[in-house]
Amino acid sequence: MDINMQRRSQVEIIQLKGPLRMGAAVNEFRQALDNSLSSGDTRIVLDLAEVPMIDSSGIGVLMKSLASARQRGGNIKLVNPSKFAVQTLRMVGLLNLFEVFTDADAAVASFA
Amino acid sequence: MSDPMTPTPAPGHDHHGLRRQLNLAIPADAEHIGDATDAVLACLASLNVEEEKSMAIGLAVQEALANAVTHGCQNDASKTIQCEVSADEQGHVLIVVADPGPGFDYSAPPKPVVQDVYNDHGRGVFLIRQLMDEVSFEHGGSVIQMWKY
Repeated sequence: MDINMQRRSQVEIIQLKGPLRMGAAVNEFRQALDNSLSSGDTRIVLDLAEVPMIDSSGIGVLMKSLASARQRGGNIKLVNPSKFAVQTLRMVGLLNLFEVFTDADAAVASFA
Repeated sequence: MSDPMTPTPAPGHDHHGLRRQLNLAIPADAEHIGDATDAVLACLASLNVEEEKSMAIGLAVQEALANAVTHGCQNDASKTIQCEVSADEQGHVLIVVADPGPGFDYSAPPKPVVQDVYNDHGRGVFLIRQLMDEVSFEHGGSVIQMWKY
């Protein structure tokens, strides 16, 4: 999995590329989120445009990180999740916990 | 003891011409699950399975393999998991995943997914049941059969 991170207007934008599933991908994803959250970056935009699949271990990391971000006054917002990722999150009853945007700029601006 | 990989016909369906298309032996290591899932997806593509159906099967396979590695084999990479893909003439797809473990209680409540939405585990079997059309557990839960029609 490729993970690209950039900061804009005090918001951490994490762009993922590849399936988010158990193994190296989820481990790297967990590490990236842990690094952001532990350094106080709790306002996070997650760009999922190039993530064709999210498995339950990826969802687990996402939910744990969402809880952590919100406990510290932040949030995790999603950008362009694929149709199947949306279906999967809806299936497990979690889609409505996220604000979903069609572009990263709008997601960043929503934190202002 | 019967062969755990021998599929049980799903009730109400005639799986005429069911043929095995892929047979994988996978070390019980989380790092191998993604490659195995990709091999299943490639097999489904070669069978011209439509993308939406293929993605659902792929995620169900991913979850079944993850359960086999984590629960069936306790992440012991010296153990081997079997994964078979079969298809019949109507395009129905059967996936069988077997691990050498003692089994796992899959009868746990299928819903709600997890009581705490922020929990980081406990959604795999629920997802499998949502993604596939028929799911059964054999041999005390060490074998899962999943049909997608």
